[in-house]
Amino acid sequence: MDKLIVSPSPHIHARTSTSVIMRDVIIALAPAILVSVLFYGWSELLVLGVSVASCVFVEWAITKWLLRRPSTIGDLSAVVTGLLLAMNLPATTPWWVVFIGALVAIGVAKMTFGGLGQNVFNPAITGRVFLLISFPTYMTDWTMPSGFVRSVDAVSGSTPLSALKEALMSGSTISDFVAGYDGGWRALLTDIGGSAGEISAIALLVGFGYLLLRKVVKIWIPLSIFATIALISLIFNSVDPEAYTGVLFNLKTGGVILGACFMATDYVTSPMSRTGGIIYGIGIGFIVMMIRYFGSYPEGMSFAILIMNCVVPLLNKWFHQKKYGRN
Amino acid sequence: MSKITFRIGGVHPDDNKISRNCAIETLPLPPTVYVSVSQHIGAPAKPVVAAGDKVKAGQVIAEPGGFVSAFVHSPVSGTVKGIVSRKDLAGRPVPHIEIAVEGDEWAEGIDLSDTLVTEIPSDKAVILEKIKAGGVVGLGGATFPTHVKLNPAPGKVADCLIINGAECEPWLTSDFRIMVERPDEIVVGAALMQKVLGCRCVIGVEENKPEAVEALKASVAKLGYPDIQVLSLRKRYPQGGEKQLIDAVLHRQVRSGCLPIDAGAVVQNVATALAVYEAVQKNRPLVTNTLTVTGDCLPVERQHNYLFRIGTPLSFIMEQAGGVPEGAAKIISGGPMMGKAVSNVDAATVKGSSSILYLTEAATKRNPQSNCIRCGKCSDACPMGLEPFLLNRLYKAGDADGLEKNAVQDCIECGCCLYSCPAYIPLLDNIRQAKGQVMGIIRARAAAAKAAAEAVK
Repeated sequence: MDKLIVSPSPHIHARTSTSVIMRDVIIALAPAILVSVLFYGWSELLVLGVSVASCVFVEWAITKWLLRRPSTIGDLSAVVTGLLLAMNLPATTPWWVVFIGALVAIGVAKMTFGGLGQNVFNPAITGRVFLLISFPTYMTDWTMPSGFVRSVDAVSGSTPLSALKEALMSGSTISDFVAGYDGGWRALLTDIGGSAGEISAIALLVGFGYLLLRKVVKIWIPLSIFATIALISLIFNSVDPEAYTGVLFNLKTGGVILGACFMATDYVTSPMSRTGGIIYGIGIGFIVMMIRYFGSYPEGMSFAILIMNCVVPLLNKWFHQKKYGRN
Repeated sequence: MSKITFRIGGVHPDDNKISRNCAIETLPLPPTVYVSVSQHIGAPAKPVVAAGDKVKAGQVIAEPGGFVSAFVHSPVSGTVKGIVSRKDLAGRPVPHIEIAVEGDEWAEGIDLSDTLVTEIPSDKAVILEKIKAGGVVGLGGATFPTHVKLNPAPGKVADCLIINGAECEPWLTSDFRIMVERPDEIVVGAALMQKVLGCRCVIGVEENKPEAVEALKASVAKLGYPDIQVLSLRKRYPQGGEKQLIDAVLHRQVRSGCLPIDAGAVVQNVATALAVYEAVQKNRPLVTNTLTVTGDCLPVERQHNYLFRIGTPLSFIMEQAGGVPEGAAKIISGGPMMGKAVSNVDAATVKGSSSILYLTEAATKRNPQSNCIRCGKCSDACPMGLEPFLLNRLYKAGDADGLEKNAVQDCIECGCCLYSCPAYIPLLDNIRQAKGQVMGIIRARAAAAKAAAEAVK
């Protein structure tokens, strides 16, 4: 004993760390990623690989050459952003489009604000929305699932929601649409064409269950999103089932599960208090349904999350924890 | 699992009560003791002995230096060498009374036998006086003079005395040992304080100490004092915090800026109850206490619970326990959550000393700080319902008003925020500074208001 450490209490630590939390998120995303790779095959692997590598590279390059700070890629948050971005893209997205998405996600949405913890908008969603607006052809030309587990008869098609939107806009009713849509409701609910990550609701929910178990996220935000979407769909659908889609359809399609469980729960861009979280979730659910029923975009989840991201600083200012001995 | 616990925040560190089976051993007398005059919260005691005086164990060597202060007694018999300035645990110079130990002779009237005295004096003033004369202070950490706490200001009434046997700090087992080995004395001590306050009494023990719960329940049943209840609490840190324990036991909260008595509660530690028993029933002042020697680099056969004479240098105890173990990087006096890192192993033990905890670098090292990811784990953990991330930010921005508005002065410095921060942000370090500044502002404002009121008169 030559030297003693002398520092203020506490002298022990729970030994959680940012990278452990990010690792848990990666583990939680694994089932959904596995399913997407099984269904979409090599092209999905390529999108995932390019997305993760680009996100990590962009963050590393910015810290090294622009900010001249120690690299932060070790915290694994760039990997999580890369995975989420890939899961929000069609498996057929060309590699250079994926790279531009990563550049916007990390370079614009995250690092310009000061890196992890400082950004206002969810990086992966910002990247996705940028691509959605800039490259609508790549972003809406969804391939119907066909990968390692099924025959390679790739069908180019639209997502259930966008197909439905087109149908409704051209004057038909939901029952006409369902009759005309290949496979009907059953197919819609089992194999969902759309962003690669959305393909299996079960896999997403299993992963989310893991996050809950590890106490990485709390259930308030997803639960209030689901409840709001369910409630609004229930009301509109029971008023006019021919013009407004139903509860289960709205919960299962358009990235609601992926968005609610993995994107809206992003620590940095969601409120810190429970009340704030519930209001944030209700806001997302409401905006999604307004976009779907009355807007021109078919899905709306990305926009809803981004719009509610703007409100988070206010929610953090207004809603606080319940303090001891101050009621 | 017990359902009884506090309602806000808290963390679950591994309890590491490795020394739980180490029965209390009496530590040999050191050649010299150094008795600090500042062993309690409040004014330092005034020495009443001088160099050359012969003293006996249990004899008064310093008198209270104010209303909130306490007697200090000689823990040994011998010759006073002088009043010397010596560094305390943290390296601050404090006057100490140095006594060379000669034999072990006790002052007259002190009952050193093991006979249990169960009869409670009928006059509560007698009890209070003996507690004061015995130099009893709170041994749960704050070392607040016990006779002051048991004598509420006029108009304030306690309806429950809570005896704190939570021992929620990991590693420590000294309270556990006294609860298992001396439950009768603790229960009599509780009954004495209950008599003074005239209210019911609850002894709260965390459920990771079932033997203690059983022992105390058996004593309560055997001794037959009315209105004493033993409660098993959930294991959760900081259950032993005064405010948290009141919330757990009574489902009541102490209003910010108020004292437990304002919520009708008085909290005393189990070790304090034992000291009260000895002071009142045995005329034996507080000159010994129990201390755990433990740590993650100390094999279990080298861990101990010692009954030590107050004023024994830490280094003497460490030698008796076989020296500093291989791999120890930090020595802590107290628990790992709220204890103080020892910078000076020659410091003398005080009334409130509860442990010598050796931790390895692996156990105690803080990782480098990274960005706040706004996970909210610090707010979830804060047992006062504060938002440490916010207080940290306000401190950095120098926003004293914001800090006060967000209740930085309510912080109990339990360490839950920093313990749970995945980014290793020094939350409590900064909040402590902020709290100091804000408390200063609040005090200055109160002083100014008082001066203004005086001026009007």
